[in-house]
Amino acid sequence: MKSQVEVQDPITDRILDEWLDEPAPFLSIIHAIQDHYGYLPEPALRRVSQRMDIPISDLYGTVTFYHFFQLEPKATPDIRVCENSACCLHDLDQLCEEVAGADLGIEHSGKIEKISCPGRCDVPVPLLIGEKFLHGAKPGAIGEAVEATMPLPPETGQQECLFRHIRDGVSDLAIAIEKGAWKSPLLAASDPEKLISELKTSGLTGRGGAGFPTGVKWEVVRNENRGPKWIICNADESEVGCFKDRVLMAHTPHALLEGMTCAGLVTGAEVGIIYLRWEYPEILESLQAAIDEATAAGYLGEDACGSGRPFRIVIRRGAGAYICGEETSLLNSLEGKHPFPREKPPFPTTHGLFQQPTIVNNVETFCAVPPIVEHGGQWFSDLGLGEQNGMRIFSVSGDIQRPGNYEVPVGTPLRQLLVEFAGGPLPGRDIQGVTMAGVSGGLVGAEDLDVRLDPASLDGLGAMLGAGGIVVHDDTRCMIKAARESMHFLKEESCGKCFPCRIGTTRMTEILDELGSGQPVREGIMEEIEDLEEVLGETSACGLGLAAPYITRMLKKYWPDQIQQKLNGSTQASEGADDE
Amino acid sequence: MMSNENRMTIDGAEVTFQPGETVLEVARRQGAFVPTLCYDERLDPYGSCRLCVVEVEGRRLPASSCTLKAEPGMEIRTGSDPIRKMQSTLMEMVLSENPDDECPRCRDIGTCEVHDLAEKLEVGRERFLGATSNASKDDSNPFLLRDYDRCISCYRCVRICDEVEADHAITMTGRGWNKGIATAFDGGLMDSDCTLCGQCIYTCPTGALADKKMVGQGEIPGEVEVTRSVCPYCGTGCSINLHSRDGKMIGVTPVLDGPVNEGALCVKGQFGFDFVNSGDRLTRPLIRKNGELTPVSWDEAFDYTAQKLMSVRADHGPKAFYAIASGRAPGEGSYMLQKFTRAVMNSNQVDNCSRG
Repeated sequence: MKSQVEVQDPITDRILDEWLDEPAPFLSIIHAIQDHYGYLPEPALRRVSQRMDIPISDLYGTVTFYHFFQLEPKATPDIRVCENSACCLHDLDQLCEEVAGADLGIEHSGKIEKISCPGRCDVPVPLLIGEKFLHGAKPGAIGEAVEATMPLPPETGQQECLFRHIRDGVSDLAIAIEKGAWKSPLLAASDPEKLISELKTSGLTGRGGAGFPTGVKWEVVRNENRGPKWIICNADESEVGCFKDRVLMAHTPHALLEGMTCAGLVTGAEVGIIYLRWEYPEILESLQAAIDEATAAGYLGEDACGSGRPFRIVIRRGAGAYICGEETSLLNSLEGKHPFPREKPPFPTTHGLFQQPTIVNNVETFCAVPPIVEHGGQWFSDLGLGEQNGMRIFSVSGDIQRPGNYEVPVGTPLRQLLVEFAGGPLPGRDIQGVTMAGVSGGLVGAEDLDVRLDPASLDGLGAMLGAGGIVVHDDTRCMIKAARESMHFLKEESCGKCFPCRIGTTRMTEILDELGSGQPVREGIMEEIEDLEEVLGETSACGLGLAAPYITRMLKKYWPDQIQQKLNGSTQASEGADDE
Repeated sequence: MMSNENRMTIDGAEVTFQPGETVLEVARRQGAFVPTLCYDERLDPYGSCRLCVVEVEGRRLPASSCTLKAEPGMEIRTGSDPIRKMQSTLMEMVLSENPDDECPRCRDIGTCEVHDLAEKLEVGRERFLGATSNASKDDSNPFLLRDYDRCISCYRCVRICDEVEADHAITMTGRGWNKGIATAFDGGLMDSDCTLCGQCIYTCPTGALADKKMVGQGEIPGEVEVTRSVCPYCGTGCSINLHSRDGKMIGVTPVLDGPVNEGALCVKGQFGFDFVNSGDRLTRPLIRKNGELTPVSWDEAFDYTAQKLMSVRADHGPKAFYAIASGRAPGEGSYMLQKFTRAVMNSNQVDNCSRG
């Protein structure tokens, strides 16, 4: 076969030599090649194919899946502009035109590439040039570097949990230790059953959106007899409007590392992997520094925290693909396979990375473990309001006075979060609605802002709490456009494997375009929406497609007048056309 | 007797199953109509077209039956009204993905699953119309037509190339609506690891992949006769279907239940049948007489050959004779040749071209 002809590429060989014995090295190898050459040259990929025993066609297909792997060299980088979440509330066409010709202090091609939400919704509209984020719309600061924002202290004096030390400089190991960091792993190692029982008592559930009980997940992996087991942190925070994990990793990295180490010592896994989204380059650096520091201090390594057992943590960088936040896609991505979601069951707890028992948890979930160990599961559970357990972090952005991350008790009314914490709408405006979850949880209209922020209450409205991203739309916005932008995101990020999602999100986007255009719409368009909702919501293979109908269902529920207005307008227009 | 443990219910009827069977397999055996497009029994379950969804008692959402393993006590409903409606909607969505300019069924010899299923579900290309996906690729190879305007992205071609042929010549590229099917670095098949075996054509449920030699045959009037036979090329004995019209061969298709090949063929068996209709083909014995090849009867040809072989042995001894069996000969033929060489020609010099 043609691909068996030996390819020579000493640079790639050196990279392969360096990485091949590392855990799940695929993404690191491809990134190292791209970092060296500026793109992925064919001979380099052929060499990777030969030495990693991946068919070259599969390898080619896999790298084309990601936004940020490049197969062609580029002399200067394009300007990447976020087109979702809070950013699409800006006039992006005008903004793109302005920045394309602007001197931004970094050499660029002047070409604009729209990208999916890179998690900077608190500082819209971010421009990404190479690996630097610049302000694109901040008055008087266009072209300036985007700084890592710190969560604002809660004005109400609300107790915090994960954020309790975040403003104290705990990204520094010495200060973190002073504040009580790195105590939990030894306790976990000495009595794993107790930790699991405390986790169960705490009511902690997965904060990535699916909401599976963390204690149960850890217990299943602990009870598996096969190995090596894996601990994976899903830091591929790609949900539109979510930027809480970025802030946690930036300002309290040791809580994450500590939580993962607990998981390792409880289950017997020896390696933890943080799957970090590509769009967080500054976190890649700071988190690696925290890992190095913790390793040097003996919290990670051959004798992790003095437990007598090894545990280390490595970072694997994603390459731009929302679907890789879906845990089975993430596993395929780490393994170097095409990052389509896997069929479930089996679940990762029994058949995860390389088919071995694996814990996959979100950043916020791991960060919640140390305080639970410190204060007990009951303490954490009691933080929730009423029947609810614990605290959650919400990312709030859009038409709001104080965009940012807020940690509130589960069960807090949405209105309280928006008004008391985030400062309410801009002067003279009213909140018309919010996108939930990101966008995959649908929309909530003004009449239901008193809904409590817990999974069951949102379910009750027909929406979803999800990963806790909330983008506020005030009364100046067209909610059909808001729905269209949400659907467009899902269309762009659909993996393309299952038919209902691939075709359905495309058709839904087109229909919302048509509705929003002001032009006459086809007959039967509302029936088409309904049929698409049914197929997407019942037959899609993973959460992305299953969630898509939330958007249109909530649009119809809260803003039937906006839709009717368009339909009436189009009826009038088409009647007018008939008259001619 | 079948253990009670392997019983389940399909559409109200209690049925037995073998451990490891999927719900789709059991349901179809029961005669249930469960449509599929991404399914090929030779391939691993994939679960992408979602047409095979069924209701499972106790589950909130329908499940794709091709990926669902049968379990004791399961209660399955295959054809409820909501399921049929979703299948019809899905089929309309599939039809909307490709342009409507010509019927893919006419591409070659009328094996278009999409067409058949649309008829069966009684849907047409009328709703959900919008952008069409994929784009055709020029490919200069002599055998395989690649027309991705017709592709529905079930990836059966990619999977049969990987899972059955192990050639890994093609892959899925891109993501979402902008997905595609390509060779490594998007070149032609001739520059890839493709062996031009043609298996992708015969798993493709549309006219996206076709046998170039057979394109348009479906439009020509006249009955096409299908004759099951065995490939004449090597001793493997792959089953093939010979397609002919008015006594003239127009193409070969693999036989899915062929005991040796289970639907697989190689480039020669699949595409190399031109010799059948060639004017240069030998159709009867010829003996060179006075420098001219002259047609003779089989009796004369055998007598002539026997006489010549005997004179070689008499004049030059047994070692002047060396037999090489053809790789195309079956075991019985090869046995006869060595027997003849040893018993008649008294020579031990026997070989087979496959040894080289």
